[in-house]
Amino acid sequence: MRVVAEMALREIVRRRAVLLILLLFPLAFYLSRRGDHLGQSVRFVCLGVGWALSTAALFAGGAARSMEPRLRLSGYRTWHLFGGRLLALWTVGVAIAAPYLLLIRLDQPQVRHGAVALIMALTVAVSAPLGLAISAVLPRELEGTLVLLAIVALQMVMDPAGSASRLLPFWFSREIGTYAIDHTDGGYLNRGVAHGLGFFALLLTVVAVGAAVRLRRRPHLRML
Amino acid sequence: MNQDAWLTALTDELRRHGVDAGVTRHVVAEAASHLSDSGEPADSAFGAPSAYARAVVDSVGRARRPAGEVRLRATDIYKRYGRRPVLSGVELTVRAGQVAAIVGANGSGKSTLLRICAGLVSPDRGTVEVHGALGYCPQDGGTSDFLLPDEHFVLVGAGRGLGRDVARADGRGRAAALDWDAGTARPARQLSGGTRQKLNLVMAELGDPDVMLLDEPYQGFDRGSYVDFWERVWSWRDAGKAIVVVTHLLDRLDRVDLVVEL
Repeated sequence: MRVVAEMALREIVRRRAVLLILLLFPLAFYLSRRGDHLGQSVRFVCLGVGWALSTAALFAGGAARSMEPRLRLSGYRTWHLFGGRLLALWTVGVAIAAPYLLLIRLDQPQVRHGAVALIMALTVAVSAPLGLAISAVLPRELEGTLVLLAIVALQMVMDPAGSASRLLPFWFSREIGTYAIDHTDGGYLNRGVAHGLGFFALLLTVVAVGAAVRLRRRPHLRML
Repeated sequence: MNQDAWLTALTDELRRHGVDAGVTRHVVAEAASHLSDSGEPADSAFGAPSAYARAVVDSVGRARRPAGEVRLRATDIYKRYGRRPVLSGVELTVRAGQVAAIVGANGSGKSTLLRICAGLVSPDRGTVEVHGALGYCPQDGGTSDFLLPDEHFVLVGAGRGLGRDVARADGRGRAAALDWDAGTARPARQLSGGTRQKLNLVMAELGDPDVMLLDEPYQGFDRGSYVDFWERVWSWRDAGKAIVVVTHLLDRLDRVDLVVEL
């Protein structure tokens, strides 16, 4: 799995323009809301990190499709392949999120920075399997991109207090964000963490099941 | 082409075809002697070096080991896409030390049969048995745009249990047999189509699988590499592997052991 992760990371890192866009994309979100009331830029930069990483994961999943069957034939187990790719994406996610954590620490001293770090960590954890899960269900990139666009757009426009918004994968970001920015009670934190961990487990399951189905040993073939 | 250049080219062609070194020296010496006696230009006396070498190979032939145990057995394979039947009751048995060619018109199901044998696609009916490790070279795709050739070797090699240095050296050695220096620092997307297909082929043979499934792997190869490829196929056969090649090109069919026409 380590070799798969290393090579997946090399693939991403070689795409310098993509890396630059991934890094600067959340900045646009941050700066666009910096003039609003306290903490809106923090909420939006977290969504920006989530969108950037899940998009990268969507395309990484698509790019891996042509090689994975032959890697499976070479002897890799299915979990080596998706596990290695996830590790690489999470590494990229941490690299994207870290400078924004520092920016928020310096620019927004009044928020709860530990909670903001938790939002970033959950965002990175959820974004990578979200992109891979969409890629697994919708192998064509245009369809997958449109679905991801719809998810993030809904995340931004839906009222987080409404029950329907909890069906969206980054709802935890706004819930924990309220705790971090508005200094509310721990209930917001607990609900947010539970939602984030729940979606992390759900999306990881979708990725694992999707890979298991796609790369399964077919019953007609007996290897002796 | 002057006489020396023609004789050098003949030597290279015979070596490429795997002709024994002693036989090569003998053939080249005889040709040189004839040219010296007759004073004729080499091209008009013998034709192009490649054609003459081919004629020598056809007459000298190549010693074959007897076929061994069954390595691949595909039984009663049926497959349809929608309402269109693609494969109907196909049978294929390939033993160790045999080369099978799958031929047929476009859309006849050649690639589908190979993918069924590799376990990448399920048939509607039928079974496939493989004895040993499997190597598969697709017709296209199968490589990563942003990885270097060495990185492909390490990635596939790790799956086969090979260490990095071993996988790298193995890959480069097999690439050299196809007249390609794989130590280049260029990622796969910057390789020419033919070179990228060489990468595909080398990845399929890494780790020495017992059964090789090759779907027109020579696409984009120059003439010399095409000859090298078929020499690799004969050498794999001599080493006891079972090889299945999907091919449109019929000039090698007289040297394969089985032909399956779809």
